[in-house]
Amino acid sequence: MELLDRYLQAVKKHLPWRRQDDIIAELRANLEAQLEDKEAELGRPLTQVEGEDWLKQIGSPIQVAARYQRQQYLIGPALFPTYSYILKLVLTWATVIYLIAGVVTIGAQGMGVEALAALSVLRVALRLPWIWLINAAIVTLIFVVIERMSARFPEKFGAFGPLAAHMSGPMTAPWSPIDLPPVGTGDPDWAKPRSFTRALLGVLSGCFFLAYVLLVPHYPFLLFGPGAWYLHSLPYQLAPVWWTFYWWMVAINVFELAWKIVDLARGAWQQPPNRGRHLAMHAFSLIPFGILLAAPEHKLFLLKNPADAAKLGGALAAANNGVLLAFKIVVAIVILQLVWMGIKMGLDAYRKRVAA
Amino acid sequence: MTLREHLFENLRLELRRGCLTLAVLAQLKQEHYGYTLRKALASRGMEIDESTLYPLLRRLEAQGLLTSEWREEEKRNKRFYRLSSDGEQIFARLLEEWNQINTSITNLL
Repeated sequence: MELLDRYLQAVKKHLPWRRQDDIIAELRANLEAQLEDKEAELGRPLTQVEGEDWLKQIGSPIQVAARYQRQQYLIGPALFPTYSYILKLVLTWATVIYLIAGVVTIGAQGMGVEALAALSVLRVALRLPWIWLINAAIVTLIFVVIERMSARFPEKFGAFGPLAAHMSGPMTAPWSPIDLPPVGTGDPDWAKPRSFTRALLGVLSGCFFLAYVLLVPHYPFLLFGPGAWYLHSLPYQLAPVWWTFYWWMVAINVFELAWKIVDLARGAWQQPPNRGRHLAMHAFSLIPFGILLAAPEHKLFLLKNPADAAKLGGALAAANNGVLLAFKIVVAIVILQLVWMGIKMGLDAYRKRVAA
Repeated sequence: MTLREHLFENLRLELRRGCLTLAVLAQLKQEHYGYTLRKALASRGMEIDESTLYPLLRRLEAQGLLTSEWREEEKRNKRFYRLSSDGEQIFARLLEEWNQINTSITNLL
């Protein structure tokens, strides 16, 4: 039957070349035997249309050939959970590192030039999807190689191979139920109410810290130690913006202390800590740093004697730029923490709503 | 095909997949080549497509559960398969597993 020859030829094209002759010989023998049976049943050869219908019923050449291919995953089900875990980890860290690097770059390039800074922010934001794509591609490529190796050398790289235990990481690492965290929201500190002693200690430590902060301007050695006398002899002084920063810090501490005292008086310490309040206090702490970053002419330190500008101006500018950069990094880290806490709170709220 | 039928079809195929291997191993206690094996299975109510059965035989042979040899029969070269000694042991264990599952399901229904 010419149609069968054409069909087998089409199947052969899609078979693995090493085994194609053997497979086609076997398939031909089986299909010819089947054809003979059909023709014996009918008492005549199949018509063209009947032959077409029969071959259609067997399946398209590509489909039939595909069944003979070795089952190969890009990343198989045994490796996929580890792949997914590592991918999430890598993407999270890549985002954090890239954003910090971006903030530092913007700080270094766009300082004092707002239009340039805005452009840099846009550039950083637009590059982020590429960072994800590149990192995801690298992780995927590594896992594809592992998958291929485990298929080719199952004794070394297979699911139970000695190397697999090292490569598969936390997903297959030995574990014990004893090590599991207690039942709660996943972060035990937020799940449990505090004890009265802990709440009282919170108020007392707040009082001591506020007293310390209030004493520092009068007794600088409390902050700088013996270095206070050395600093006093330097030709530099703090810019007035530091006083604004200082009083904001005092105000935030007074506010937090007052809240702790009210909590203690009302017995609110018997309830788990309020994450929203913690988030708000974290956000407030950005204000004083924002004030420093917005210092007039970006000057945090000034010369005691302006006549020294020619001699000490370079060192002063370097100190101002360096400290401002450090504060920008601090602000970037605090913002990332806030975003992370916000996302966690949002997800928890969503889960609670879904569960309800 | 509706979504519900598609779901049923997927579950049906999943259920049949393991059973097909067991049926083929059971039938190959006697020697067969592809087409007669298919007919023998169909005559006992286990219909299998050509495009499923013939590659399955190759896979089971590659796994060492079947042995095969080319031999001429009725003026045509055919590849005959039968259970290997490893295949017999695995089949016995699978059959035991099948009987346990069957008993459990019967008890559940």
